[in-house]
Amino acid sequence: MRNRFMFSIVVPVALVACSCAAFAQTYGTKGYSPGAWKPDELPKGLSNPAHFDPHNLSGVWSMPTKPGYFERHSLNDKPIKIAPNVPPQMGSDAYPPPMTPWGKAKFDAAKVSYGPRAVPPGEGNDPVSSCEPLGYPRDLWEANLRPFEFVQTPDRVLQHMQYHDLWRTIWTDGRQLPKNPDPGWNGYSVGRWEGDTFVVESEGYDDRTWIDHFGNPHSDQMHLVERYKRVNAETLELDMTLTDPKTYTAPWVGDKITFVRAKVAIFEEICSPSEEGHFNDTIRDPAVGKSKP
Amino acid sequence: MSLALVVGLVMAGAPLLAHHGTGVAYVRDKEVTLKGTVTEWFWANPHCGLLFDVTDEKGEVIHWGAELGNPHSLSEAGFSRDAFKPGDKLTVTGHPAKSGAPRLELLHLVLAGGRVLPERSVKGNGVHLDDPGQ
Repeated sequence: MRNRFMFSIVVPVALVACSCAAFAQTYGTKGYSPGAWKPDELPKGLSNPAHFDPHNLSGVWSMPTKPGYFERHSLNDKPIKIAPNVPPQMGSDAYPPPMTPWGKAKFDAAKVSYGPRAVPPGEGNDPVSSCEPLGYPRDLWEANLRPFEFVQTPDRVLQHMQYHDLWRTIWTDGRQLPKNPDPGWNGYSVGRWEGDTFVVESEGYDDRTWIDHFGNPHSDQMHLVERYKRVNAETLELDMTLTDPKTYTAPWVGDKITFVRAKVAIFEEICSPSEEGHFNDTIRDPAVGKSKP
Repeated sequence: MSLALVVGLVMAGAPLLAHHGTGVAYVRDKEVTLKGTVTEWFWANPHCGLLFDVTDEKGEVIHWGAELGNPHSLSEAGFSRDAFKPGDKLTVTGHPAKSGAPRLELLHLVLAGGRVLPERSVKGNGVHLDDPGQ
């Protein structure tokens, strides 16, 4: 009931500001699921209009979800027809540049849970199925289901992902990317302003993660450039280009991604390996006959 | 309960519970309906599960299990961590596993008192599909 009440208040405001902004209204407002805020724990004024400063990315952002809107699950992807009645993350596929033999071998080894190559998770090796780190940019595609938050400090921009309760650090103190850094699940990132665009460059990625749900690979040579632009109080746009000559024969230029301001607070959504292991042991693996029910 | 409501719930069930891999692990164009007794309900990110025993026509007890989505979306659909307890009687409908194993992708269930879950159709992010403007 509270959600309905909030919805009735927020919709006229949100519709004026951005027709997409209302779609994430129900995030985190019920407070029943593990880690979620209860209504009286939420920050006050969540639905207040946001102050617009193009050099301030602060806020909670999600991808709009509504019928007919295609959800982004990679730098670029498009709907495909593989079977009736499949959810968007199953019924789409990415189109990366041609792969090198090294990249193709890695791609072929990925037994994915999404898209046209999907196998039952109990027969696959998708890191998501065992709560392994998704890494970046794959974490970002979770914004279809879970929002992320930008927090700006004098020397950093922090990107707080709801899934795994993950904090990505983007240094803005003028430092350069380190030479030959130890690989990290989420890489090493530095950011700078070019006019009203926040440019993030990243390297130092652990090559065990996948770029997306479709098993597109990357190496430890991946260089990622993200260009964020807050075009108004409610809308954040992102252009992403990935260069990884060990894996791809050309830069992978992503399609523009549009995020809308979600009037919610990020809550804890930990993927616990032991809890997911219990799910695998009792549901997922028996479903494919891997273990006795 | 009217037939129309039952059909509506069946149709509404798919988006709620659709998540990765389910489209290939379960037979999406078939449904099974079972009467059973809850043995375990687990409420955890990012997947919930319901285990229940079904006694077949030969008197043999089959240990069934139902796959559900994440607690956040399920809570928006009326589920909760205390929705079920061992011993609860219920009727479960879902898409059966392709392998033939006694596992299913939950579409809907009816508790002994007549309560039906899910109460409404939601996306994996908890957005109500029946909200105006969705």
